[in-house]
Amino acid sequence: MDYLVVFLVLVVFLQTRITDLRRAVICMASQSLIIACACFWLGLSYSSGFHAFVPGLLTLAVKVIFIPGAVLHLVGKLTNEREILSESNVNYSTMAAALFLVLGYALVERLLPGSAGRDIVAASILMIMTGLSMMVLRKRAIIQIVGLITLENGIYLLGLLLTQGLPLVVELGVFLDVLIAVVVLVILTSRMRLSFMTTDTSVMKKLKG
Amino acid sequence: MDLLLCSLLIYLLGTMTIIWPHKLEMTAHYAGTACAIIASGMVAVISICYLVMPVGGLLVDTDWGSYSLAADGWSSVFLAITGIAGFFISIYALDYAKGYRGSRIRALTGLWNLFLLSIVAVLIAGDAFTFIVAWEIMALVSFLLVNHEADRKETVSAAYQYMVMTHLGTAAILVAFYLLGSHSASFSFVDMMQNTLDGSLKHIAFGCAFAGFALKSGLMPLHTWLPNAHPAAPSHVSALMSGVMLKVALYGFGRFAFQFIGMDNIWYGLIVMIVGLLSAFLGVLYATMEVDMKRILAYSSVENMGIIFGAFGCGMLLMAMHLMPLAIVAFTAATVHAFSHSLMKGLMFMSAGAVMHATGSKNIEKMGGLLKKMPYTAFFTLIGAMALSSLPFTSGLVGEWLVLQSFITLAQQAGTPELRLLVVLSFILLGLTGATALGCFVRLYATAFLGRARSHIVDKAHEQPFFMLLGMGIAAVLVVAVGILPDSVVNTMQMLVAGPMTAPMGNPLGIMWGGSGHYAIYSPVIILAVTLVITLAVAIAVACFGGGFQRREVTWNCGTVPTERQQYSATGFSKPLRRAFDSILNSQRRTEYIRKDHDYFGRKLQVHLEIPDLFTEKLYKPIQTWMISSSSAFRHIQEGSVSLYIGYTMIAMIFVLIWGVM
Repeated sequence: MDYLVVFLVLVVFLQTRITDLRRAVICMASQSLIIACACFWLGLSYSSGFHAFVPGLLTLAVKVIFIPGAVLHLVGKLTNEREILSESNVNYSTMAAALFLVLGYALVERLLPGSAGRDIVAASILMIMTGLSMMVLRKRAIIQIVGLITLENGIYLLGLLLTQGLPLVVELGVFLDVLIAVVVLVILTSRMRLSFMTTDTSVMKKLKG
Repeated sequence: MDLLLCSLLIYLLGTMTIIWPHKLEMTAHYAGTACAIIASGMVAVISICYLVMPVGGLLVDTDWGSYSLAADGWSSVFLAITGIAGFFISIYALDYAKGYRGSRIRALTGLWNLFLLSIVAVLIAGDAFTFIVAWEIMALVSFLLVNHEADRKETVSAAYQYMVMTHLGTAAILVAFYLLGSHSASFSFVDMMQNTLDGSLKHIAFGCAFAGFALKSGLMPLHTWLPNAHPAAPSHVSALMSGVMLKVALYGFGRFAFQFIGMDNIWYGLIVMIVGLLSAFLGVLYATMEVDMKRILAYSSVENMGIIFGAFGCGMLLMAMHLMPLAIVAFTAATVHAFSHSLMKGLMFMSAGAVMHATGSKNIEKMGGLLKKMPYTAFFTLIGAMALSSLPFTSGLVGEWLVLQSFITLAQQAGTPELRLLVVLSFILLGLTGATALGCFVRLYATAFLGRARSHIVDKAHEQPFFMLLGMGIAAVLVVAVGILPDSVVNTMQMLVAGPMTAPMGNPLGIMWGGSGHYAIYSPVIILAVTLVITLAVAIAVACFGGGFQRREVTWNCGTVPTERQQYSATGFSKPLRRAFDSILNSQRRTEYIRKDHDYFGRKLQVHLEIPDLFTEKLYKPIQTWMISSSSAFRHIQEGSVSLYIGYTMIAMIFVLIWGVM
């Protein structure tokens, strides 16, 4: 499990540095894969049988295969090179991510001292904050989708750890939510590409009355 | 069934004219106005009966759970004011409102009834909730009435200004009620009398109540809505607003002062007195500068409400010194002046409406010589103008005399030299106010009714229809009756504020007051008799010995025939005063040459004179500028960018997390 957390933190840090859209999506997929592994591992360790594997399988299907596939398909349509390379200086994002990690650990020390899953909590806080900051700071719609998934993964991981597996109905609902959100986002982004010839969300300011 | 509730039902019936079919709009108008006349007459008769013989109750105990209606002496005075003023103004409206035929006359008449209804409801409210609801209905209905001529831009802006201001006032009153109610058993007035409010909260409650009611009665610096709203409203509405609605604010403040807050604190009375007197003086000063007839009257309302509140504050000061027997003169003065102001201001707004009706203008610079065209209106206006400048034989002087007596009493009783100096200064300010008011109404009457016509709009002027004259006539008769025989009104008011035990001030000869150290007597009857004797003597003398020196000549004008443009204009008449008080008025004069061929001949010029309102310029505009600039600074927070909003969520989350860590 510790290795998984290390990989997760590594992937998230990598994600803050990536400017290429395709790599960002692959990074997101691998992040989701780690989450799925964590899911299986937790399922085994608590030995709650079949119930524990369903979320893992769902994560695998939705977040590792379907969503990245759809987004990659969208990226494939973006022919403009300038589109594919993102713009901003990524060093600040990385530094912010480091700060978030420190914050996460500080929080765990205060709130859950001596807890077994302190690394996981810290990592999930890192993911939540990084996802949020990606949505706020980046202008490319695709990166913002990646940020949303990162945020979602973080919340999911935290929930998984704290509750030792949510009820199945809730899990299904959460996945449906994410799925629909991403489908809508992908559709919107592709409409945006058709209308504005770009996926830069800053052009949307023109729409303001 | 209670008669008072009956009259409320009749008002409600009159309100129904709003939903009458369009074809019958004139019938609706007559029926609705008749309802208003009958109901107002009933209110007047019931409350006067109660004032004369306070037996039983004005209202049979009407208690609906935590809401109740109640009426005592204090409300019955104002009910009488409402009833009487509502009666004659409604008669006037019968003909006046005909001018709105085809432009929502049904709404006008219906809302007129609702307005009267809400005023009566405010006066008989027995708990804070009912009071606020009725107060708010009154505010909204008067807003709609002010906004009646909504096709004119300045009307709409005046109405919305009124709306905003009056809601600020309501907010302040709500705060006061909340503070009082949370320190007493319930929000009913009976329980609120036993409130346990103390310390700084009491000061806040007093401040809020005073600010709220002062706003409604148009005291400076909260008066700015008043000179805009009154000219914008139809004349009978302005008459009712100025004559009655402003007094309702006095009613509310009196209830707070007498029953809820008390008058132990000397500062309360001092603040009320000073604010009142400053409003009185500044109000009449601005009134003298205006050329719009209704704005003059509006500022004059500021003046008179200032005098009333000044007297009220004087009474509060005397109460704070525990001089109850002497304080009655001040409270009597306030109520008598409130009553007489409702008569004379109603009369004057009605005659302003008549002049507008006849000439189509409110600008007195365009009038002149209306006396010959509309003699009855001119006569009634003369009485109103005399009353407002507090000349003898009118109700105006009765109130003003009592106010002056109360100030003399206060000066006599003032414990410290500082207070005495202040009161003497106030007395001087009051005298200055009275003199300026005289100038103001001489100017108004002389410019509009005397002299020669200044423009052609006077040519088509005509005497007014019967009911308009009847309404004005009733008011004028009342003004003179109270002016010559003031004892009944003064005694009634005195009995109300002091109880039946005190020796009445009034007797058939006039009013007497001995509380100021000397025995002061004002006897209009004796003055009238002396005046009649002297006039008769002069007339007889002229008839016997004179008669030879009457010759009619054209005024000598350096050899040219005088034209109407050489008369005193209203602006010119008030110029000495404008120059004298220019440091306050800060008038802006700009001269523009349209044609100038030669230094002395053949030149044409235009003079623009603007007198900005002191408080609008120095108080409201800076606040407005500050609010606009600060809100545009805040607008950057709400840019409409989604990532910014997500950023806010994130910042909030980080704060929560850090807070958790700490």
